[in-house]
Amino acid sequence: MKDLYLVYKNLTRKKMRLFLTTFAIFIAFLIFGAIMTLRGALNSGVEMSADNRLVVVHKTNFTNPLPYSYVNKTQAIEGVKQVTHANWFGGYYQEPANQVVTFAVEPESYLAVYPELVIEPEQRKAWLNNQASILVGERIALANGWKVGDRIPLSSNIFSHKEGGQTWDFVIEGIFRGAEQKTDTSYLLFHYKYFKETQSWGGDSIGWLILTTEDAAMNESVAKAIDNNFANSNAETDTSTEQAFNKAFIEQIGNIGLIIFGVVFMAFFTILIVVGNTMVLAIRERTAEIAVLKTLGFASIRIFKMVLIESCLLAFLGGLLGLGGAYLLIQGASENLARFLPNLVLDQNILLQALGYMLLLGLITGIAPAISALKLNIITAFNRG
Amino acid sequence: MSNQNLFELNQVAKRFTKGKETISIFQDLNMQIKDGDFLAIMGPSGSGKTTLLNLLGGVDQPTEGQITFDGQRIDNLSESQLAKWRANNIGFIFQFYNLMPMLNAARNVELPLLLTNLSRSERQKQVKIALELVGLSDRADHMPSEMSGGQQQRVAIARAVVSDPKFLLCDEPTGDLDRQTADEILQTLQLLNEKFGKTIVMVTHDPSAAKFAKQTVHLNKGEFVKAEELSA
Amino acid sequence: MSNLMSQSTAVIVMNIRSLPRRLWMSLAMVFASAVVVAILLAFLAMAKGFEATMQSAGSDDVAFFMRTGSAAELNSSASREQVNLIENAPGILKDEQGPLVSPELYVIVDGVKKSTQQEANIPLRGLSQRGVDMRNGFTLTAGRMFTPGTDELIVGAGILREFDGFDLGQEIRFGKYTWKVVGVFSTGGNVFESELWADAKVIQNLYNRGSSYQTVRARIGSSDDLTAINEYLESEPRLTHEVQTESAYFATQGKSLEYMAIFGWVISSIMALGALAGALNTMYTSVSDRSMEIATLRAIGFSSLSAFIGTMVEAMTLAVIGSLVGALAAFIFFDGMNASTLGGSFTQVVFSFQLTSELFIQGITLALIIGFVSGFFPAWRAARVPVIVAFQSAR
Repeated sequence: MKDLYLVYKNLTRKKMRLFLTTFAIFIAFLIFGAIMTLRGALNSGVEMSADNRLVVVHKTNFTNPLPYSYVNKTQAIEGVKQVTHANWFGGYYQEPANQVVTFAVEPESYLAVYPELVIEPEQRKAWLNNQASILVGERIALANGWKVGDRIPLSSNIFSHKEGGQTWDFVIEGIFRGAEQKTDTSYLLFHYKYFKETQSWGGDSIGWLILTTEDAAMNESVAKAIDNNFANSNAETDTSTEQAFNKAFIEQIGNIGLIIFGVVFMAFFTILIVVGNTMVLAIRERTAEIAVLKTLGFASIRIFKMVLIESCLLAFLGGLLGLGGAYLLIQGASENLARFLPNLVLDQNILLQALGYMLLLGLITGIAPAISALKLNIITAFNRG
Repeated sequence: MSNQNLFELNQVAKRFTKGKETISIFQDLNMQIKDGDFLAIMGPSGSGKTTLLNLLGGVDQPTEGQITFDGQRIDNLSESQLAKWRANNIGFIFQFYNLMPMLNAARNVELPLLLTNLSRSERQKQVKIALELVGLSDRADHMPSEMSGGQQQRVAIARAVVSDPKFLLCDEPTGDLDRQTADEILQTLQLLNEKFGKTIVMVTHDPSAAKFAKQTVHLNKGEFVKAEELSA
Repeated sequence: MSNLMSQSTAVIVMNIRSLPRRLWMSLAMVFASAVVVAILLAFLAMAKGFEATMQSAGSDDVAFFMRTGSAAELNSSASREQVNLIENAPGILKDEQGPLVSPELYVIVDGVKKSTQQEANIPLRGLSQRGVDMRNGFTLTAGRMFTPGTDELIVGAGILREFDGFDLGQEIRFGKYTWKVVGVFSTGGNVFESELWADAKVIQNLYNRGSSYQTVRARIGSSDDLTAINEYLESEPRLTHEVQTESAYFATQGKSLEYMAIFGWVISSIMALGALAGALNTMYTSVSDRSMEIATLRAIGFSSLSAFIGTMVEAMTLAVIGSLVGALAAFIFFDGMNASTLGGSFTQVVFSFQLTSELFIQGITLALIIGFVSGFFPAWRAARVPVIVAFQSAR
């Protein structure tokens, strides 16, 4: 492309304007990348859910407990492959504001139901063998600076220890990683049996059941069979796929989530409009020069392409820088937000969307001046000059 | 000197519609320009000289009649064909130079060569020759804003001849320059005509500029008033 | 001085007259600052609305007892015995029927949200008439009070607005049990309106709570009485509770959406940087567009300061117009907007966006900063346009 030099010179002729315009586009895509990643993290529970996993909760609400006997009763139902259970511990580390998502689980079956949790075999063995130990997710370990072998006090805002107080002392026997980048590892697990024996409340109840079915196609019939099995008991159940359950949970955040994303997208598009306006005007200013090029014998379509390439280059320059900025920002924020959010990943999907918007920005801002350049009548252009 | 006609205008008419009114610029205009000529066209404003220039330069087309260049009809070419034709055959020199402000002298001169298939090094070689011709070899790296009007016009001349077209069209080439600089520019044009055989048509309203041409025609209300031979 | 004034006025008038020439550029700047302000206000109004919903719920003359460390009502517990002990605490007001104490239960049930048709957590509060009397501004807007000992409940106005199936007279099933809606209540827009209320004894029964409760509210003379109550709590080993005024509890809960305000500031500050880039472009264009005029004025004796002021005023004016448009848009779109989200007790809090005048001022301040920065540098350039430009022919 011999014309690239011309395009480059056009682009860089006003350094200040180039800088300001690039900066504005940079900001727009920085926001876009960061917000989309944030949204992706919120939705990752839905995205990463296994399609043959079901969640069984109390019909009134998932915060109500279920009897322990449901574990074996559910395992007996046809189509159920593996059942495990969990209790919400209401955990926090050192101070109540520093919440740590903590579940009391049946270790072997829990790891069987969640194969995406990856642990070194020795660590796995150590955790299974030591009742008073915890298995910690990589992200939450990172956020708190925990290592294998550390002893940590973990408090509960719900339960009390038999020996008084609300704090348990645990040793970290293992740290689990996610099989995939987006797998949530911002929580920790400990033995249900130990939980039952050490908390003052007593009682043999569990928070909810998680199970895998033999085949995802059986999900519906299995769910129905479970709910029917416990119908008219003191604790009726509500069984749904892991995906549906996670989705409903996310939506509890409510329309403020919707409003925030709406507002931020508005912001994104506004910057694009403002920038686009500047870009259109910048090319309009060059009408006389375009007329000269045409007079010299440059074909209209060639000038049309040059204008479009210029606006697209500008869009991609600012946009890619912005995405790069978002990537760095996310790398930095990911550790700090480990306590609240699963892994922040600027994935391919977001990248493609952003590239799409860059192309769109380039084409839309370029097309109007490019068309007017295409149609530009040399004679009228000269009479203006 | 060849006596062959480079340009032939045959019964050319040009009309513009402005709202409901139709303005006629030319009616039944006939004209021949010989290969190797240096023709000055003079006339008051509104006489149609700019329109004539536009027709000769292939940036405008006649309403009626035929224009032939080097034996080829150009009045019926499409816009893209005309663009190609201009690139191959015409060098333009404007009153206000019309250099690209963001390109240096050499890059400005190189512009028409971008329309050819020449390689980068061949292009640079020709740019060098063209700049030498107008005496600006030492200014190749300068931006238009760093040059005087006369220098800019010489860059424009270099740009007009760099692709070696047969025909140069000059629209008030000295209109923006002082006398001495103007004379230098006109001498350069003369040189191009005599030594390099370029056919030149120059529109001007400056009689002393017209003196540099081989002949001068006067245009008034769309008609040639009188063509007078000038001794070179 | 007056000379400078009149000079500047002349330049300002000239700038404004030439605005139509730069219409699109100027509109872009107005638009940019409008959106920045609107976005900031949206976030602030959200945080403000949530905070107000929480804070207005608490009262200073109600002592609020929770199990130590439980952080939210949901996690707390209090046995019958503990409730009795709290009733004997000093400073608690009494009437002819005994101490003014309301032990309460807090059960989470599922309701279907109108907006998403998904199930979401709603608190079902068990209390007695004593507890109801402790809520300021409580009124029944329809129907009647629940009858103690029956499976009747009354529903908060916020729940009625955001959830399906809670209309007066309807029956609702939570798990195995069916409840009947006999009344609708309002508490003046605060968080209690996001709740269902029923008789505490019935809830104990249906949800296997035995005779235990979760939190205890007690009427006190003033917040000064808390010191004595605290001493009492510490000296009584059977009590594992802490006490604060109800207003203090809800003030803490109200802060849980404070991150929204922070997030709003961060987002709009970054946005403002982007808008600033656009605004600077506008103003630089404006100055280069008028460099001839500025130079001419300078040539005939105007000071460079007046050129500076003229450009500054133009930038500030555009930014302020933008901020007013943005504030108006925020007011129209967001003020009073109904929203709901998860509160501290893991249940839905229904609240409305609130755009106060104090927030308006914050928005306009941000716009003024944009206007100032985007005006300053181009104005500097305008002040330094050399007079000689006036004598060069414009092409």
